[in-house]
Amino acid sequence: MSAPNSSERKACWDSRDLLWKCLDDNGDKAESCLKFQGEFESNCPAQWVKYFTKRRDYLKYKVKMETEGFTPAEGPKQPS
Amino acid sequence: MLGLRCIVGDVVRGGLLRRTCVRPPPPPPQLTQRCFLSKGGSGSSDHLKLRTRLVVSLLFGGSLLAAWRYVYLEKQERRRQLRVTQLRQVSLGQGTFSLLDQTGRRRTKQDFLGHWVLLYFGFTHCPDICPEELEKLSAAVTRLDQDQALPPVQPLFITVDPERDDVAALARYVQDFHPRLVALTGTLEEVKHAGRDYRVYASAGPKDEDGDYIVDHTVLVYLVSPDGLFLDYYNRSKSDEQIADSVRNHVKTYKNLDP
Repeated sequence: MSAPNSSERKACWDSRDLLWKCLDDNGDKAESCLKFQGEFESNCPAQWVKYFTKRRDYLKYKVKMETEGFTPAEGPKQPS
Repeated sequence: MLGLRCIVGDVVRGGLLRRTCVRPPPPPPQLTQRCFLSKGGSGSSDHLKLRTRLVVSLLFGGSLLAAWRYVYLEKQERRRQLRVTQLRQVSLGQGTFSLLDQTGRRRTKQDFLGHWVLLYFGFTHCPDICPEELEKLSAAVTRLDQDQALPPVQPLFITVDPERDDVAALARYVQDFHPRLVALTGTLEEVKHAGRDYRVYASAGPKDEDGDYIVDHTVLVYLVSPDGLFLDYYNRSKSDEQIADSVRNHVKTYKNLDP
């Protein structure tokens, strides 16, 4: 299987961006973006779909860390 | 002894001592003169003597300063040489490589000596980071191409996924980037060896049902100097403009590390 070429890559990235925008606009409700999800999966190799799905989680986590900072795990509230 | 007596005689003006000074038993000539000078100090040649003294002290001071400067520069040069030797010993990219380019021709590290190289390690099935970085690298080289005063910078891509990236795959891949981009592949061992010289990390992920996989790898752009050694790197946050500016500076300030 040969790697996607430049236009195939672009098609994949564009449908990824549309899906991500839809998810952002709809509070990450996957059922609201099924159409975009389908296009994303048909335009990108399966391995890339998995990769980008994980990558979105990572990027969101990164933004959360940058804006809200680190939230420590639950532990003793007061030092004894 | 006699000199001391003279001085004491001058200071206390004691008769006995003074007489000894004026009429010394067998006086060595210079000492008599010194005695005379210290007594009858100021004369008509006062002005001349001041100038002579000034010239002498200036000459003396000047040569002292020059000597100090010479020693200082020597020391600095020795330090620089030592530093160069140390840098050479620890620098990355000292090894060599022998790989196939996108036309099937064998290329070795020696082919690139004497050229500035922007080097990137990646793979053609890479979802987003490699194509973005290679586009950025190509844009930086295009910027540098416009500067006639600079030597041409060679864009170079080495795969970390030789299993899928054969010569044909690379030939297809390079079309999307800078026209002078050279892409290299080889056996797993050859490719690993090339990456090891630049401390490149690469690890293939699990294969899915299509046999497709992602290779996790170092995503830095390396600047390699004409003597084939690693000189600088650019991470994802650097723009093509920043890379071009940095390369330009390196070209201007570059000193050959060869002895």
